[in-house]
This record gives sequence, C-alpha cells and structure tokens, in this order.
Amino acid sequence: MNSEKNRHVIPGEVIVSGNYRAEQNTFMDGERIISSIIGLSDIRDGSVRVIPLTGGYYPKDDDLVIGKIISHSAMSWQVNINSCYDGMLPASDVFGRDFSSHSDDLTSKLGNGDLIVARIVNADMTRDPLLTISGRELGKIDSGELVQISPSKVPRLIGKRGSMIQMIESATNANITIGQNGLLVITCDDSNGLIKAINAVELIEEQAHVANLTDKVNEMLESKSE
Amino acid sequence: MVSRSIIDTLKKTHILELLKDGKRLDGRSLEQPRELSIDISVIPKAEGSARARLGDTEVVAGVKVQPERPFPDTGDQGMLMCTAEILPIAHPTAETGPPTPDVVELARVTDRGIRESKMLDMKELVLEKDKSVIGIFCDNAVTDHDGNLFDVCSYATTAAINSCKLPKYEMKDDAPVKIEGEFNKPPISTLPVSVTMVRIGDYILVDPNMDEWSCLDARITITTNSDGNIVALQKGGSDGFTHEQLTKCAEISIEVGAKIREIIKSATEGSN
Amino acid sequence: MGGRDTDIVLLDENGIRSDGRKINETRKVTIKAGVLKNANGSAYIEFGDNKILVGVYGPRDVHPKHMSDTNTGILRCRYHMTPFSVGERKNPAPSRREIEISKVIKEALEPAVILKQFPRTAVDVFMEVLQADGGTRCAALTGASVALADAGIPMRDLVAGCASGKAADTIILDVNNEEDQAGQADLPVGYMPNLEKITLLQLDGILTSEEYKECLKIGIDGCKQVYEIQKKALQDKYFATGGNNNG
Repeated sequence: MNSEKNRHVIPGEVIVSGNYRAEQNTFMDGERIISSIIGLSDIRDGSVRVIPLTGGYYPKDDDLVIGKIISHSAMSWQVNINSCYDGMLPASDVFGRDFSSHSDDLTSKLGNGDLIVARIVNADMTRDPLLTISGRELGKIDSGELVQISPSKVPRLIGKRGSMIQMIESATNANITIGQNGLLVITCDDSNGLIKAINAVELIEEQAHVANLTDKVNEMLESKSE
Repeated sequence: MVSRSIIDTLKKTHILELLKDGKRLDGRSLEQPRELSIDISVIPKAEGSARARLGDTEVVAGVKVQPERPFPDTGDQGMLMCTAEILPIAHPTAETGPPTPDVVELARVTDRGIRESKMLDMKELVLEKDKSVIGIFCDNAVTDHDGNLFDVCSYATTAAINSCKLPKYEMKDDAPVKIEGEFNKPPISTLPVSVTMVRIGDYILVDPNMDEWSCLDARITITTNSDGNIVALQKGGSDGFTHEQLTKCAEISIEVGAKIREIIKSATEGSN
Repeated sequence: MGGRDTDIVLLDENGIRSDGRKINETRKVTIKAGVLKNANGSAYIEFGDNKILVGVYGPRDVHPKHMSDTNTGILRCRYHMTPFSVGERKNPAPSRREIEISKVIKEALEPAVILKQFPRTAVDVFMEVLQADGGTRCAALTGASVALADAGIPMRDLVAGCASGKAADTIILDVNNEEDQAGQADLPVGYMPNLEKITLLQLDGILTSEEYKECLKIGIDGCKQVYEIQKKALQDKYFATGGNNNG
C-alpha cells in the first residue's frame, strides 16, 4: 500500500480514522488516530507514526550514542547520554569478566569528562539504560570536536541511506560519528574542512524541516568562503 | 499533607464493579451524601463554633470576632477570613509544617464559598468608617479525615457563622471597647452550602469517602446559596469533565445543597 | 470578585464594553513558541495586557528522590507573579493564591500530558507573569500548553484557557481586570478542543443555573478561539518555511 502524503501535525490533531495501527508518537481515541507530538505524520502499510520535530533523546536498544563519564561506583561508570536517564557502563565491559573491584581501578581506564562512543544494550526504563563499549568503532574518544544538535534532527543529518552525511564527509574529508542522542564527534586533518563540516551540521539543524535542504547544504559545501 | 492513599487494586476493582450497578461500597446511591450531624456552640469561649460530621469526616470550626483596622480601599466594610488546616491527628499521613498546596486550596475554596455568597453583609460590620471595623475569622480544624474535606468545612463554617454572637462595641477615645454581656445577631442573608462530586469513569458520585477519593479521575465542588444560585466552583483532580457532566453536576449541587441547607438551619435554629 | 463601586461604564447602551470590545469578543492574543535558549520548551504569550513567559524543563531527574514515581513521570507547575507585574508591588515570595493557581493549572494540564513512558522523571513548567491584567491563570495555562508541545512532551491535546463572566447583568467573554474588580462573576475555563474535555473550571461570583450554563458555553467557545492561536504559534515555528503545509 502506498504511503499517504505526510502532513505536519501538532499534539491532539487527528491523522486518520479507521483501521490502522497506532505506532510511535500516536494514540487512539475510539477510531481516530491522534498525534501526541509536533512532527510529520507517516502512514505506510496500515500503520501510522509521527516523526518528531522536537523533543529530547529517549534511549532505545541498539542505539549508537556518545556519552560523557560523570561518575563511577565500585562496579560501573555513570554516563551522561544527553537524556533524562543516565547510562550505566559496567566495569566488566572494559576489564573483562574477571574484573575485580579490589585489583582493577576504574579510573585507570575512564575518568570523569572522558567521552565514549557506546551502544545501548538494554533500555528498560525502570532502571538506567545499560551500555557497552566493546565492539567495532566503540570506545573512548581521544580526539575530535564534539557538536551537539537536537536529537530529533539526527535522521535528517544522516539522510536517506546515509546520503546527507556522506555528502558532508566527502566534501570536507572529515570523519563524523553520529550518536542517536544528538551528540556528534567530528575529526578532520584540515581545519577548514572541520569548520565547513560544523557549519553544514548547524545548517541542517536549523533548517531540518525545509524542502531543498540537500541543495542548500551542497551549495554551502561547494562555496569557497569559510 | 495527606497523601492520596494508594488504594489496593482489589478494592478499586470492587468499587468499579459496583458502580456499573449504580451502587457504592457503603450502600449509598450515587447521588446520596453520607449522614450529616452538626453540633453548635461546642467551643463556648469562641464567639461561634460548630462541629460537623459527615460520615467519618469531622471538622471543628471556631469563629473569633475582634475589632480590626479596615483594608485601605474598603473602609466601609468589615473583614472576613476563613481558613482550614488538617490536624496531624486526622490521618496517619497528615504532617505538621507549612501548608501544602492541597491545604491551601481547601482553605481558599472554603473562604470563597462564604465570601462570594455574600452570606454576611459586610457594610453592617463597621464601627467607625475607615478607622475601625468588625473582623470575623472562621478557622476550620479537620480532626478526622475520611474524604471530602471541602464539604465538611463548608458546613461547619456556615453553621458556626450562622450561630455566632457578635459582641457589641462602642467607640471611646477613637478606640473600640467591648460592652460586656451585649451581643448582636450577625447580618446574614443567605446560607452557602457546597456539594462535592467526583467522576470515576463515566459515573458522578456525590460526597466521596476516602476510598472513592483515592480512585477519582476528577472532582468538582459547587457552592450554592439559599436562592439556589451558584456562588463558587472549583474543579480539581488530574482529569477533566465533559460539558454535559458539568451541567449535570450543577443541577445535583442545587438539589442536594437544598437538603443539606435544611439540616444546617435546624441545627442552628434559635442560637443567637 | 471585588464588587467595588466604580465610575467606569462596564457596558454602554450599544453593548460595547469599557475597552471597546463586544460581549463575546476576546482580547487580542499573541503567542510565540520557542523563545528561551536553555529551557527545553518555551512560549511567550500576550493576552490583552497580560504578559506571561513560560519555560519547560524535562523530562528530567527528580530531586528529592522520594518525590519521583516508579510508574510514571510527574508534572510540576509553578505559577508566579513578578513583583512589578501588578499595580501595588507584590512580594516575590509565593503567596497562597499563587500556590492554589499552580495546583489548579497542574490539574488542568495533567489530563493532557502523557508521562507514563518516563518513569522516575519530572516535567517542570514555570509560568512567570510579567504583567497582569485579569485572566492570568487562563493565559498562563494557554502558554504552558504551547511550551510543553515545544519541548516535545507527548500530549493528548493542547489545553486552551479563557474566562467568561458576568458584568452589568450581562454574560461576557474574557473578563479583564476592571471587569473582574467591578463585575458580578468570573468563570475561568481550561479546555482540550479535540478531546472535548474541560480540565480547568472555577467560579468567583454569583450565577443562576441558567447563567452558569450560558457562561460555560461561551467560555468553551472562547477557548476554541484561543486554540487557533496556539496552533498558529506552533505552526509558525515548526512548519513555516517551505516543507509541505497541511493547511
């Protein structure tokens, strides 16, 4: 079934009525499916969801996030992941299963203020979400520039099948790691490229809802000025 | 502060089941308030007093009368102030300390019910214009809490004020002096009575007890006067009402209020 | 209600009120969404001469911890008047009136916000009245709904606020300060337009049963008018430049 035309909606607005499944950011009132946030409605294959245009980051299983170590206990680190919930990184994830709080010192590996690229293992809201940094492309971040954008703009920054972010990376020679939580790390050997990449990211955040954004970004990347 | 008791799920289910048949846990019908008893002059030292008991909820109201300087912009009117507090004895979760928002709301709704109804003719309470007026203070103390403090405070206050005796004062050297042994009847023209209703699901219940209070979706307190007019209204609770429900609640408050007014009238007859 | 004697003519022989309005006309209302940098959501509203700034933070951690709920996020509201907002300087400490209004507004918003998916957190709504001219609680409620939506807090509906009342023996819409002081009744209403539920309702003054019904109806109509302005404020911020407009 073709997806119906997407519409801008605000909380309380009816998207459709009838035999549809109410998915993310919607709820049912009798037969009506209603949006619960400001966003873009998306109807496909008989289900309705709304893509948010604002709002914070809420941890989901398997999300890639960038976090900052803010504290630790004997057995784990507490990580700020730009959400109302802090992440929990168990010491065993870094030291291995033979971790012993007597002989292994957490601060020797990660201290307050350190940034990490992590994956969310378990985001059950009754406890703090569980993180891991053992995996390809995960771990402590040693260099680069940290940029923060609104988490709701991340999909636009990535683009269809990564097209937007790839366009920026190839135009600037930068390497950009994007956390679903709105934090990104940009590394670039060339300082001009770094600045261009940051400007591109800021442009996308500001104009995420505008049509021809891709052209505007392209134009900006190709211009000679800073 | 009295925290909304976390009602056990079995009881809540039972309450909802009974409602489908138009019944309540204590056998009352949906629009039936609990039994009301009122005793006046329970605090002889105060100028007026009443103890109101609605089911197991009890409030003692005391009226104190004293001369006061009037407010600057109403030098031709007396002063009126009603308050309420929940005593720590009233409920296991009642605490001492500054009033919580629940208690502030209770006091203000009680005050507005009396004030807006114009129960007392404030212009009759002046000793010397712009200098000295009669101040009437009615303070409610909740001594036992089984739900619906709004109504019990309303009844205790109306009864206490309706049965109070105002001391007579004369001005001597610009100061008011009490004339011992002489009293006036308070200038009363109407008897305000509040009726509180809660909505549980689609049902409207009059005079909720603590169990019903603990599972309410929304509540409304409507105060009417002797003419059957509405003088004050307060919606509370974490949910809302439909337009039809609010119209129905107004009708109920006038009907039930009239019956309660008769009880207060007979309890305070011939008292002053 | 003041019921104070006044020289102003509340309603003239042509049915025009002291500020030039007709009896079923609201004051001018403007709302701008997203005006503060730090708050997660915000709104600035002018309702007649009322000027109110609302900031929303959350969902965020709750302190002290015992106030948090393991089943759901909680909503906290603070309605506060700045000392310079009224004729006679107001003491900055929260008055009992502000405490009550904060509670009443909280209970007007709770039916709208969906916080079950954020256990152990709180959403804080701060409403600052910068200038007051009657009907501040309805204006603050209106602004708060916009700020909550701006913050991305999931909501079942917006809540719009508008007061109706009675002055010079006539039922009127949107009571201003003068009409509140000298009039006969003031009925603030808070309404969810799509779910058709009233979530804020109070009365100061005396109304017959018939007058109450009329006042309530007019108040709800006023809320529907205010809702259109709330909608526009959010559309202006989020949907304005390009993109497809749903009209």
